[in-house]
Amino acid sequence: MTVVIAVAAGSVGALARYLATGAIQSATRSAMPVGTAVVNIVGALLLGVTIGGLDPTRVVTLALAGFLGGFTTFSTWMVETVGLGIVPKPTYRAIINLVVMPALGVALAALGFVIAN
Amino acid sequence: MPHVRSISIAARIRRQAAPLAVLGGGLVGSAARSSALLFADSAGSRFPAVTLGVNLTGSFLLALYLARRQRSVSSTWSLHFWAIGVFGSFTTFSAFSLEVFHLVDAGAPLVAGYYVAASTIGGLAAAVVGGRIGRTAR
Repeated sequence: MTVVIAVAAGSVGALARYLATGAIQSATRSAMPVGTAVVNIVGALLLGVTIGGLDPTRVVTLALAGFLGGFTTFSTWMVETVGLGIVPKPTYRAIINLVVMPALGVALAALGFVIAN
Repeated sequence: MPHVRSISIAARIRRQAAPLAVLGGGLVGSAARSSALLFADSAGSRFPAVTLGVNLTGSFLLALYLARRQRSVSSTWSLHFWAIGVFGSFTTFSAFSLEVFHLVDAGAPLVAGYYVAASTIGGLAAAVVGGRIGRTAR
């Protein structure tokens, strides 16, 4: 049952990602995929807070973790990075997008986990 | 101009269909990721191999789908369902980030480094290969 709740929450997370990415991207009008970056980094922070601060046996923890699993995306990040130019020679923008996102994601997931814990 | 009006109604229906397609695709993608995490045997290993496998597979499939899509006529509904819904939610960035921190926190920074390298370099390679196959394969 808890798995069903987590999966349903992941579906809602996907919708939230779709809406947030579109709103951020059109608001910034950046050539960089900032919508995906913001969603992923905020999602990493929130997962750190969720896992660090909440009882893992509670349903709400699983629902939040499921939501954030669907909210954040790895595949879009990779495809967008390739789209910025990887072959034959990586572009400056592609390298920035590849390096900055995990650096901020890991730092904020750690921060969220430590603060909530 | 009744013709123009009918187009705008169709566009309105499509706009409302997009969130539903994302929700449906998100359900499929999340269920597939949860199944992989539940059934793949990662006991005894602290390396997050299941998340890595899911993320690389999803990157390959998304690039493959998008490249094939450019060669044929397909609906925006299909794009919302598959690209944003299924392949978007199948993979996860938040779990990846937290797992890297956990590895460092557990005193295995080298393993964390391997995991980041395998995810990023592997993910890029998967997306490049997926795109190439999607553009060339029949």
